[in-house]
Amino acid sequence: MSALRPLDKLPGLNTATILLVGTEDALLQQLADSMLKEDCTSELKVHLARSLPLPCSVNRPRIDLIVFVVNLHSKHSLQNVEESLCHLDAAFFLGKVTFLATGAGRDSHCSIHRNTVVRLAHTYRSPLLFCDLEIEDFRATMAQRLVRLLQICAGHVPGVSALNLLSLLRGSENPSLEDL
Amino acid sequence: METQSEEQAVTKPADSGGEGGPPQVAGAQGARPEDRMTLLLRLRAQTKQQLLEYKAMVDANEEKTPEQIMQEKQIEAKIEELENEVEEAKIAFEMKKLALDRMQLSTALKKHLEKTDIKTSVLMDNMKQILNLNKLIMKSQQETRDLEEKLLDVRKKRLQLKQASERKLLEIQTEKNKQKEDLDSMENSDKIKTIQQNLETEIQITTVIQNVFQNLILGSKVNWAEDPALKETVLQLEKNLTMI
Repeated sequence: MSALRPLDKLPGLNTATILLVGTEDALLQQLADSMLKEDCTSELKVHLARSLPLPCSVNRPRIDLIVFVVNLHSKHSLQNVEESLCHLDAAFFLGKVTFLATGAGRDSHCSIHRNTVVRLAHTYRSPLLFCDLEIEDFRATMAQRLVRLLQICAGHVPGVSALNLLSLLRGSENPSLEDL
Repeated sequence: METQSEEQAVTKPADSGGEGGPPQVAGAQGARPEDRMTLLLRLRAQTKQQLLEYKAMVDANEEKTPEQIMQEKQIEAKIEELENEVEEAKIAFEMKKLALDRMQLSTALKKHLEKTDIKTSVLMDNMKQILNLNKLIMKSQQETRDLEEKLLDVRKKRLQLKQASERKLLEIQTEKNKQKEDLDSMENSDKIKTIQQNLETEIQITTVIQNVFQNLILGSKVNWAEDPALKETVLQLEKNLTMI
């Protein structure tokens, strides 16, 4: 099982694939359903996985975007994500990885501090999104955002590349990071 | 230990009408030619973008990555440097694009102006309005600057006054301290001590004399209350000299 590489396969025509990694199966499934309901000119493929590395035996298309879902209520999901990050090729972190933190709404249940996830995203230079995946409306909005991100990472939007988007997203993050 | 993780795949064909994958398009060939055209153009743009990305990766891989193990702080610094370089490259590109766009716009504008009648053109009205607004803006900016300078001057003066008052207070305090010191030193000097001792002995002598006279008068059993001069003398003798 080798590390996952971003550009080792040829892209499918008009196809964009996203991989959602996280321990919360129900949430991932719901997010996947919301994403598939979105109107999109490209064909969407959503793959769900509990953790990396993925089994080699499956023949899968080129993965354009990986979203690591961390549930702020459980330390196990953070650990799982951190372990999975080791199996990724470094080239992925040029814009094709995003962190998604869920469960920030209910502060009393949070066992992971928000800053932990912020620092994790900062270490890997990837954007961090916050969303309460349990609430339908937020989930739908996040699904829209992810679909748009996916299209850019798959190269379906002329003029914007994943790296370009990464530096664009970074601009708004910096002020908060200086407080860390 | 490698864990086998489960993977599920969920797919959805694109749902906008007429824009399915190429096999579907082949079936609806004659029906909607415009949609097919847009689809092809879109696919062309996509493929171009993807080709660009692959080329960029190939170019990037030709650069050697340093293999030595650096400390984390150095790596962070290096990453920030590289990110800044990317930002600068982007900014430079945007500036050049802007300059190019402006040049194109100005040539198009020039050609348009050569064709139309200058007096009645809406464009000229807009330009005049823009010039007026710009003059207004410059005037208000100048006023703002003047006011800010005045504010700065006032603040400087206040600071100077504060410093002067600070110095004066310091002088007053040093003077007071000097006075206190002089007083203390004077109190401790020997001259005062000898004077004090002399005073004490004199007081003692006088007290003794007082007591002697008192006892003399009382011992003679004279009625001193009758004679006013004697009464005054006795009362005077009662004065306690250490209280003075």
